[in-house]
Formats: sequence, C-alpha cells, structure tokens
Amino acid sequence: MATTTATITLSSTDLLSDELALSTTATLTQAGNSTGVTQASGLSRKKLASGHATYTLFDGDDYTADKAHKLYLKNTSTTASEYFEIIVNSEQIGRLYAGDWAFFPWMANASTNDIKIDPSADDMILEYMLFTDE
Amino acid sequence: MATTTAAITLTSADLLTDALSLSATKTLHKAGSTVGLDQTTGMTKAYLTAVTQVDIFPPLIEGSIAFKNKTSWVYICNESEDETEYAIVKLSGNVIGKLYGGDFLWMPWSMAEDADADNKHADIQLTPSVATGMWFTWCCINEGTEYPTSV
Repeated sequence: MATTTATITLSSTDLLSDELALSTTATLTQAGNSTGVTQASGLSRKKLASGHATYTLFDGDDYTADKAHKLYLKNTSTTASEYFEIIVNSEQIGRLYAGDWAFFPWMANASTNDIKIDPSADDMILEYMLFTDE
Repeated sequence: MATTTAAITLTSADLLTDALSLSATKTLHKAGSTVGLDQTTGMTKAYLTAVTQVDIFPPLIEGSIAFKNKTSWVYICNESEDETEYAIVKLSGNVIGKLYGGDFLWMPWSMAEDADADNKHADIQLTPSVATGMWFTWCCINEGTEYPTSV
C-alpha cells in the first residue's frame, strides 16, 4: 500500500487582524477505507496550442464513479492575465490564473462528468496529476 | 494590499518508482492582476447533522452575481476521522467529488451562473453522508462577497 500525502498551507499576516496560518495534511486513501491510493496519472504537462479550444483533460467515461479520485492542476504561465477555465460537467468551476494551482476530488459519476480545460490564450501550458484508486 | 499565499506539497515515497515530492506556492491575486486578494468570509467550523444539501456561502442571485468571473478561492475540509464518512461537493447542482474523512479541497470559484439554467446559481453545495454529525471547516478568500439584501 502506498502512502501519499497532500498538505495545504494558507498563510497571511495582513489579510486579517490576526495571522492566517492554516495547515492541513490529508493522506490520499481509497474511497471509504484507509488504504492508500495506488494509481496516478503521473505529473504531466500539456500545451494547449491554438484556437483556445476547450480540451477534455479527463473523460468521465474512462473512470469509475464513487472512487476517491483527486486532481492537481497548475497554470504554469507567468503572464498575470492568462488563465485556464476549469469546467466539470459543462459547469464553469473557476479560473486558474498564472501560477495558480488547485487540488480537489473528482467523482467521475457520469459519462458527462468530464474535466475540461479552456485556456484564455494560445500555447499555455497546464501541469496536472490525477490520483486514483482504481 | 494583503499578501496571502496558498501552498501545496504532494509527497509519496512509494506510490511511484521514483519519489513524489511536488510543491507549489502561489500568492493569491485579483483576477488578471498582481494585486492581492483582500477579503474573506473567515474560517467557518460547522457541525452538520443531516444528510441535507446545504449552500455553504451566501446565496447568489441569478442574473446579477456581482463577483462573476472575479477571483474567489474555496477551501473545504471534512474534519471527520471516520474514513467511511464523506460529503458530496457540488457546484450548481453538478457533482465535483466526494470529500472523505480528512480530505480537503482548494479550488477557484468563478461564480459563473448555472449553465443548465436550473436555478442553482453558482452555489457551492455540501451534502454529508451521515446524519450522526460531521465536522467541517471552510472558507472563501476573494475579491468580494455578495450579501443578499435584508427583507
């Protein structure tokens, strides 16, 4: 059994009157048990070349529902105005601007529950990794 | 201008043949700029005792979402220590994923109105798997929060 951990740290000394210093660590486990996830896509990079077309990063048909998939995404751009739109099941989730990263569970609960990426400019590079238990 | 950073470390010595040791750190900026985010809902700690879907941030008004396509970041953690207990996270009624005990998420939120026009706005919804009580923490750090007008 593999042991994989994800730690998030949120910090600020001036967002609030009191210091923000949050740190949470999760061990990535399979759905509904304490066995570690055993599979991963590997850390990948994808250049979305032209046309700003929406790109299907992960197809809901290819993964089993009710598993504990976890997805890491990062926009490697250094141009502040460039973003990737994250879309799940045709719903706009949010925008990853230059340098932003996200980490969230993905249920792949239907064939329509694809993870799609829509870049705001040509030749933007997305970094991503999917952890799965199937 | 506030400086708030979000960092993640993903590590494993045995998931892959090579060690996984990935880190990313980002200062949180307003949309398309290098100006720091300056507002937050604050950290909420909630004990949910029903398997009822709840809207965890202030209600959004369809057709006039003030901060649509502005930058908002959402943190949610399922504080349960029972690995079988989870919460389904949805946006506009569409399932994103399940947060099992101890899991967290960090994701951007565009507050874009529901593409299916089924009156779910851009709500972020949480549904616990058990009614015996589950602890959660969540917060939103953003450019602004739209509060409904009092009646």
